[in-house]
Amino acid sequence: MEFAELIRISRCDRVMLHRPHHRVLDGTLCITGHHLIVSAHGEEPEELWLLHSNIDAIERRQQGMTGGTLWLKCKDLRILQLDIIGADQFAKVADTLEDLIRVEDPMFQYPFFYRAMYNVLEDGWTTFLPESEFSRVIQQGDDWRISYVNKDYKVCSSYPAAVVVPKNIEDSDLVAIANFRQGGRFPVLAYRHEGSAVLMRSGQPLITANGKRCKEDERLLNSVLAREKRGYIIDTRTQNLAQSAKLRGGGYEPELHYPNWRRVHKPIDRHHVLLDSLTKLMDGVNDTNSGTDKWLSRLESSNWMNNIKETLNCACLVAQCLDQDGASVLVHDTDGLDSALQVTSLAQIILNPDCRTVRGFEALIEREWIQGGHPFATRHARSCYTPSAQRSKINAPTFLLFLDCVYQIHSQFSCSFEFAENFLVMLFEHSYSSQFGTFLGNNEGERKNMKAPERTASLWSYINRHEVLPKYLNPLYEPNQRVIWPSVAPMSLQLWAGVFLRWVVDQGPQEAAWLVVKELRERDAALRSKVSRLRRQLQDLEREALEVGILSPTMELEVA
Amino acid sequence: MAARGQRSAKRRSGCFLVMFSGVKPDKRSKVKGITQLGSRSSSSSSHSSNSNTTRSNSSSGSGGSSSSSSNNKGGGCKSHSGSSSGSSSGSGSPPAGTPPHTQMASHESLNSESKSSSLNSKLGHESMTVRDGSRTLRPDEPPLVPGEQLEGTAREVTYLCPYVGPKKGTLSVTNYRLIFRSPETDPPFELEVPLGVVSRIEKVGGANTSRGENSYGIEIFCKDIRNLRFAHKQENHSRRMVTEKLLQYAFPASHKLPFFAFGYNEQYQERGWSVYEPIAELKRQGLPTESWRITRINEQYELCETYPAVWAVPAAASDNDLRNVAAFRSRGRIPVLSWIHPESQATITRCAQPLVGVSGKRSRDDEAYIQHIMDANAQSHKIFIMDARPSVNAVANKAKGGGYESEDAYQNAEVQFLDIHNIHVMRESLRKLQEVCYPHIDNSHWLSNLEATHWLDHIRCVLSGALRIADKVESHKTSVVVHCSDGWDRTAQLTALSMLMLDGYYRTIPGFAVLLEKEWLSFGHKFAQRVGHGDDRHQDADRSPVFLQFVDCVWQILKQFPHAFQFTEDMLITILDHLYSCLFGTFLYNSERERIEKEVKTKTVSLWSLILSNKADFENPLYSANTKHHVLFPRTSMRHLCLWDKYYCRWNPSMRQQEPVHIRYKELLHVKEQLEKHVDELRKELAARQTHDSPRVASAIV
Repeated sequence: MEFAELIRISRCDRVMLHRPHHRVLDGTLCITGHHLIVSAHGEEPEELWLLHSNIDAIERRQQGMTGGTLWLKCKDLRILQLDIIGADQFAKVADTLEDLIRVEDPMFQYPFFYRAMYNVLEDGWTTFLPESEFSRVIQQGDDWRISYVNKDYKVCSSYPAAVVVPKNIEDSDLVAIANFRQGGRFPVLAYRHEGSAVLMRSGQPLITANGKRCKEDERLLNSVLAREKRGYIIDTRTQNLAQSAKLRGGGYEPELHYPNWRRVHKPIDRHHVLLDSLTKLMDGVNDTNSGTDKWLSRLESSNWMNNIKETLNCACLVAQCLDQDGASVLVHDTDGLDSALQVTSLAQIILNPDCRTVRGFEALIEREWIQGGHPFATRHARSCYTPSAQRSKINAPTFLLFLDCVYQIHSQFSCSFEFAENFLVMLFEHSYSSQFGTFLGNNEGERKNMKAPERTASLWSYINRHEVLPKYLNPLYEPNQRVIWPSVAPMSLQLWAGVFLRWVVDQGPQEAAWLVVKELRERDAALRSKVSRLRRQLQDLEREALEVGILSPTMELEVA
Repeated sequence: MAARGQRSAKRRSGCFLVMFSGVKPDKRSKVKGITQLGSRSSSSSSHSSNSNTTRSNSSSGSGGSSSSSSNNKGGGCKSHSGSSSGSSSGSGSPPAGTPPHTQMASHESLNSESKSSSLNSKLGHESMTVRDGSRTLRPDEPPLVPGEQLEGTAREVTYLCPYVGPKKGTLSVTNYRLIFRSPETDPPFELEVPLGVVSRIEKVGGANTSRGENSYGIEIFCKDIRNLRFAHKQENHSRRMVTEKLLQYAFPASHKLPFFAFGYNEQYQERGWSVYEPIAELKRQGLPTESWRITRINEQYELCETYPAVWAVPAAASDNDLRNVAAFRSRGRIPVLSWIHPESQATITRCAQPLVGVSGKRSRDDEAYIQHIMDANAQSHKIFIMDARPSVNAVANKAKGGGYESEDAYQNAEVQFLDIHNIHVMRESLRKLQEVCYPHIDNSHWLSNLEATHWLDHIRCVLSGALRIADKVESHKTSVVVHCSDGWDRTAQLTALSMLMLDGYYRTIPGFAVLLEKEWLSFGHKFAQRVGHGDDRHQDADRSPVFLQFVDCVWQILKQFPHAFQFTEDMLITILDHLYSCLFGTFLYNSERERIEKEVKTKTVSLWSLILSNKADFENPLYSANTKHHVLFPRTSMRHLCLWDKYYCRWNPSMRQQEPVHIRYKELLHVKEQLEKHVDELRKELAARQTHDSPRVASAIV
């Protein structure tokens, strides 16, 4: 395939672009293989660059022969309006765009064509290797080891090449366990809390209706428990769903065979239910015309806030088991690709202060989500603006929900995070559409296949540059070593205006306020350094005065 | 450990503790530090709302150590924790080497309490000064504010806290407050409620009928969105005494007793009564001008008894004209200047409805007077009359002799209705809001319940009305006349809010005081009636949260423009607390005239004395003074409005701030100030040396 085949029209004059918080732009539209570009006529060089991969849906309304209007509904939740003159041009532009946003072949994605125009000091592709991330756990104890059983992604296609498993479990056992767990996702270590309590995740056990069991799996789970300790298995499905999964070849760990593990069901919505929720939320947000609208009840009936509550709740429970009880926890849902990852990563944010730094948070995203095999490509292929008939059940804003949960904790503990809110917004945008290869594909195996690490730039290499990073730092940050327990009371949770309302509501004043905070902070730092400089100078002067004899030693004592 | 312990334990409420029988937190109690808000030392309780999570004794130990260990690492505000209980610290400036925040400890603990309940913390602070004085107190005797007397004490009373469960302790009643102390926890659990807050007191359970534990006692309904229940032991016969004392001192007006404000004699650095001088404020606005004059025609409150003594009126109108206009306006409340635009001379004037009646009466004088107001502004040949009411209500008022200006009679005037409902609708809305917010919040229907109260709808109406006025004055350079029926409820909301948007002076701390003194107090918002100070008729139809609604609107603007206000929401909460407390004379009585009659200014203390003397507690570190010349146009769609949860839900333990951001802000400001001072000193010292020392040394400095 060539892009040229798809692009029926590459340039179109006299289009009017309407976008939120901007004046109407009158200019020329250009369509390239990856971008839609509108540049203004006239003096001011105003431009809009939009990746086709950012467009979720296109709505067209033709007005006879005079032309028509296109609504570009983006995955970053923005809605753009393009007025195009001329029926023929209009149809061509619309068809071209519709074809371009449906290009499925990952090799044609923009990251493979994007060339970074800066020097990469630290390659993000190799920054967060499991070997270094888990080095503390591996070195400290004799309990855990890195296994390369999955080095060619055959044992489990969604796992990375290196995983951390209990030391006394052989690779051959792992293969056996992989056959017993959904998607081959055998239990692996996600996080080790102080002491010996560990957090693990996996896919559901394939118990089936016949009640199959797997000795190796039982041995693995028992081996992580300290003597006379019990562990907890958190299943993020309802009891009923877990029960009925048996009929479809899945199931849950029966108490009989896992006597030291207590199973708890904490249902979290996922997949299309979540996407429907987001759709309802955005319908409410974008419906600005309905005057004394039922805004609050629409917000409530979208169930989005409730999803946040349930997810945070479950994460708190996991964190509680680890921190208060010192008990190990295994989290899984059906596949272990969605809500399990939300829960394990949120629990780490609550417990582990390292995860609240920029680097730690990047490592967390990399570990739990990217290497952990969250299928970004399928989940984010469509978003909430796609008509429900065209969606598939596996499109879901799981990652957005996770970021929203982080935002909630962030807003409750605004001094405990090194990064600012816009860091989360940035991650949200890049996870849907990006020039970087970090969120490409569904798992490490697929990325290796596409040669993404060699052929694309990593988001982390870009973000961690010192020209870029300061923009995303939280001026209020003070390292906080404590565990931070978020509140999930309904009035404590707030709609994330920075994502959901930003195209409807100008976020300017908030940003201005942050600038003031930042300035204050900088002035504080400047004054501090000034004081120490002056103090040093004073000391020098005193010493000098003493040497010259202007100041007698007794006088100096007084000064001191 | 006091203030800090609980702050570190910030873990809000147990809401997330969806417990299942297996997980029992050991070592640390999970929800340490959930205390009844309003208890003075809020760190007191280590009870959690979830009974099965409580292990208080070991918890306070490990929790404490965990937080103190974090102190070392965290630096910044965390280091307050340890030292904040000692109010003795902080004398003199710290040695240069020590981090400046250590010396702020006492300062900060005060503030931290003002977060939870500014009122109580203030009192706590004041009482401290008493204790520091001479009198030593028995351990169970509460420290009192100057002028306060202990009236009765009941032991073995149980406070039924809706969040942390029953607490046994001592209930004391003074002529100002109700104080409950429970020694069950360490530090003791304390609850203080000024009796002015009480709206109604009811006995629960009869001597013979009540069975079961805690079923015999009293329930106290408060004006600040909470109810308190105390259980008494029948055999102690303490309930009767407590109830009698409470009734007597909570409702002094009904018992022909003076308000506590008349006995309160705390000395403050600043004299709040002098914050507002009517003439000075008019002069600040640039009056008198060619077209506006200042008149003392109402000096004796004869022309209009609910208006202030000093008015600014169009220069073209003679005193006789004013009298004639007064006859045509409800209760003599004629259009008087509230605010004048410094450049365009467009004005906001306020008044009551014209007495049009069913027959459609007209008054040439009134029409001419409105024309004068319009003519005083050369920029525009039009004037807007904003009627705050829904048009249906305005029409209905004709039957009662009132009504609105017909555009036929008033040439060049355009009448607009702002659709704000009357006091009864607002009262009902707040009642519903209270049900939704206290004590427990329905997790699954929070938002729809909130919507059903329509509280935010009403806020939106008031705000957008004020916005419309500000827009007409600022963008269209057109003068606006504002009125509702009587011109003391909705009108006050609208003029005060639009002035707040237009004039940055009112967004400073003293400016806000002037705004309230002028638009609310001097123009006769009936505080006594609307709040029901010291009055036991809790179902009085004249009560209404009009002022609360105004403050809520101020908060909404503050939230949208965080750097445009010199004060924080803490000041707003403090003002609201003292709206009810009757500690200060500021909000007592209905009009300026009544206040002068009762000699409020000489016999009571002003709330502004407290606020201006403790300015640092209310200052907003994000305030940037160059916003003073900005005009704020807040957004008023529903998406931009939020429930002021820090006020309405503040008794809920889950509303405790998780991180003391405010303290940190304050600390930043403080540190900055200190460092600046230090730099100055060092610079001076250097300069001094330069002149004294030999030139050789001096040259080395550069």
